[in-house]
Amino acid sequence: MLTKRQNLLETIHGGKPDRFVNQYEFLNIIMETPTGIEFRYGETWKDHWGITWQWPEGQLGMFPVHHDGLAVIQDITEWQKFVKKPEIVTSDEAWAPAVAHANAVDRNEEYVAGFFAPGIFEMTHHLMGMENALMALYEEPEAMQELIDFLLSYELEFAQVMIDKIHPDCIFHHDDWGSQLSSFVSPEMFAEFFLPAYKKIYGFYKANGVELVVHHSDSYAANLVPDMIDMGIDIWQGVMNTNNIPELIKEYGGGISFMGGIHSGLVDFPAWTPEIVAEYVEKTCRDNGKQYFIPCQTSGLPIDNFQGVYETINKEIDRMSKELF
Amino acid sequence: MSKIEEVKAKVEAGKSKLVPGLVQEALDAGIAPAEILQAMVDSMSVVGDKFSAGEIFVPEMLIAAKAMSKGVEVLKPLMAGDSSSSLGTCVIGTVAGDLHDIGKNLVSMMIESTGFEMVDLGVDVSADAFVEAVKNNANVKLVACSGLLTTTMPAMKEAVQTIKAAFPDLKVIVGGAPVTPEYAAEIGADGYAPDAGSASVKAKALVTV
Repeated sequence: MLTKRQNLLETIHGGKPDRFVNQYEFLNIIMETPTGIEFRYGETWKDHWGITWQWPEGQLGMFPVHHDGLAVIQDITEWQKFVKKPEIVTSDEAWAPAVAHANAVDRNEEYVAGFFAPGIFEMTHHLMGMENALMALYEEPEAMQELIDFLLSYELEFAQVMIDKIHPDCIFHHDDWGSQLSSFVSPEMFAEFFLPAYKKIYGFYKANGVELVVHHSDSYAANLVPDMIDMGIDIWQGVMNTNNIPELIKEYGGGISFMGGIHSGLVDFPAWTPEIVAEYVEKTCRDNGKQYFIPCQTSGLPIDNFQGVYETINKEIDRMSKELF
Repeated sequence: MSKIEEVKAKVEAGKSKLVPGLVQEALDAGIAPAEILQAMVDSMSVVGDKFSAGEIFVPEMLIAAKAMSKGVEVLKPLMAGDSSSSLGTCVIGTVAGDLHDIGKNLVSMMIESTGFEMVDLGVDVSADAFVEAVKNNANVKLVACSGLLTTTMPAMKEAVQTIKAAFPDLKVIVGGAPVTPEYAAEIGADGYAPDAGSASVKAKALVTV
């Protein structure tokens, strides 16, 4: 039996995996990484960039808010006045939990996955609101490019610290680039503003010991796959079934692998049942095959919103492995 | 290219700095304000269709909507009191417990571009707040409810049913990632649209039948 890591490599290199890679099993995500991100259920708070967040009680996640003058950037042409780079924590004390976790991982079995979120695109709209961010790409492209370069410099500085501290051999990086129906921006605009930044980020990680780049975008983004390959993504996690996944595998398998297909909104919801999960997992495994594809929920962490869903998906993927391998 | 065609082209291309001047030139050339407004509405209809077809993306739709609103600013003083080109008022909001506003804002812009006056209640809007807004605003013809979370679908159902109980003849349209046409029908909504472009088409169809 192959190790999780070997089985992953066989899958993404078009070899002979002996089972499906089961969701996030190959990623040991170092969530103790002091990124500054906070998850404060039921609260309203400002993060280290000054972005205001709300996580309403009883709801599934947190939201940046921009109404009533709360947006950090009030005028993109004066973004330097509003945006201050947060201090990157470098103390051994702050990193100790992350280092301990990374040291405890058996790297023959799993990847030590450094975690970073949110990425450049999300940061632009977290700072000023989606509409303002998207319109600024047309109306104030030079200022937006400056802001993107600034955010890039922060990411690269953080990457250097993370590399020094935990020596990740994988990076798991979040940046949502689309809705479930389309990418937020055109491929041309993406290539102009975001591809160059990501080539630098993922190029930096790969030049410093990272062997595997896993990028999360739970969305449609089929039109951005050539750019994903160009920037060095090995696995696109979050690929929704609104993308034609079998077609993507056929066209791009070998250049990139696809991890997802099990739409979290369809299986991880209040009225979920094991039968619903089983049906979606089976369809996903049968439709997408054994190479260049990892069956996985589309949401961006190995957790569920409704207790039991994640484990049930794991169990059903194991069942499909027994059936199809 | 005629002045009116130029206005249409620049709205579609999202040239918000050029459109007000072109609208003024069209007025100076003797074209009626209502005709210019209709030309811009037609442009936004093309924009909506292109968005629905995946030919353009959110930024292109946003800048086109902004260009149109700049043009409308020029026309507004000349059309005060002329309600013939208005489709009425549309109350819009994201349902209780849900703070997503991007989709709702896009839909609001596109519905406005077809000729509705918009009353945007924002996010986390209770069923009662929708009803109050209908009561407190003139000529409300449509309510649009948005929701992105599976967990707020019950709030959407409550909103639709509360609105329909208070105003049985008022049209209600719903949308958002987890919403399907079947679910929209099940909870008693009059219409459903999968994206902002088709939402504007559906909104107009609902109030002009």
